[in-house]
Amino acid sequence: MPSRTHILLTESLIAIEPSKMDHYGIFVVIPSYNEAEVVGHTVAELERYPFTIVVVDDGSRDATRECLSNTSVRYLRHCTNLGAGAATQTGTEYALAQGAQYIVHFDADGQHDAAQIYRLIEPIRSGEAEVVLGSRFLSDNDRKLVPFGKRLLLKGGVIVSWIFSGLWLTDTHVGFRALSRAAAQKIKLTQDGYAHCTEILELIRKAKLRCREVPVTVRYSEYSRKKGQKPLNSVNIVADLILRKLYR
Amino acid sequence: MTSIQLLLITLTLLGVMFGSFVFRSRLLYRSLAVLFAIAACWFILFPDLTTKIANVLGVRRGADLLLYLSVLAGIHGFLLLYWRTRRLEEKLTEIIRAITIRNAQEFKADQPRSKEGDLNSRVPAHELSEVNQPGPNPQR
Repeated sequence: MPSRTHILLTESLIAIEPSKMDHYGIFVVIPSYNEAEVVGHTVAELERYPFTIVVVDDGSRDATRECLSNTSVRYLRHCTNLGAGAATQTGTEYALAQGAQYIVHFDADGQHDAAQIYRLIEPIRSGEAEVVLGSRFLSDNDRKLVPFGKRLLLKGGVIVSWIFSGLWLTDTHVGFRALSRAAAQKIKLTQDGYAHCTEILELIRKAKLRCREVPVTVRYSEYSRKKGQKPLNSVNIVADLILRKLYR
Repeated sequence: MTSIQLLLITLTLLGVMFGSFVFRSRLLYRSLAVLFAIAACWFILFPDLTTKIANVLGVRRGADLLLYLSVLAGIHGFLLLYWRTRRLEEKLTEIIRAITIRNAQEFKADQPRSKEGDLNSRVPAHELSEVNQPGPNPQR
């Protein structure tokens, strides 16, 4: 896979030496809803690194639990489906209770690259930022991987995010981000659904957390395209955000 | 008194009685409900009064004014319910979250981590502060 080599090269170019980092406090939180097909693979990739992996099963009705029974993950299960935002928050609170120093949010469907977790953590470790967000639009190579229609939609998302959160970013709705322990303690997601991606930006601004974007590569597989958010769902997300603004 | 007036007054009084059960602990809502009942009975007994008020506000018929007001009240009630449901959902999320965190499972907890990592995934929280000091690097 040529892209793999490329990623590894970039890793070494930006001089991150994973071996110099302590890994004990790195918790990777993976919200997962009916992702049994792929979550095992995602976890297997993450297990090559010494992170603590937390899978939050958001009330899946498939074999998610069985797929993970041979792994070393911490398995949390919502007894009913609450939504991606709620699952992310549950995993984050669990990680905090377990003494996590860095919390990484990671998608279950294998679209993120485990090796890039170090990229997200580095600015926090060096004290440069408290929250690091992955962006698909910071490097040309990554940008080209995003299908054209999705790129347009995401540009709209950037504007919506800016209206609701006041943060102007290059990308939005990437489930790949890292938080310092202190930042995670200040952020509490109340949007149970996908609108949490915008809500988290709002909370970052309200808590005056230092925030930074780093380039990440997103791998769009046939599976993630099929399973991922439908473009029409963006209407729901905006509606959720408006209702929340009005009736709180 | 016509029969419709009798019916409306009975229903209003019953409604207020049930309403004051719903708002058991809120004096403000209860007194508002009583005031509302008195006003409602008054308008039922003297329907021309509503027309006078409507004329003052620029509406021709009293019944129209009541219709507009009831639509507004309906919307308000809907939003109130929406807001309540939201809060209920948030509480439900909290409860499920607490149960979930309490029931966290660790598969293969006794086995050491593979390959690169020497992370013992069962480091107790109180020891983490020591563990996190820069120490011997994990082998890669």
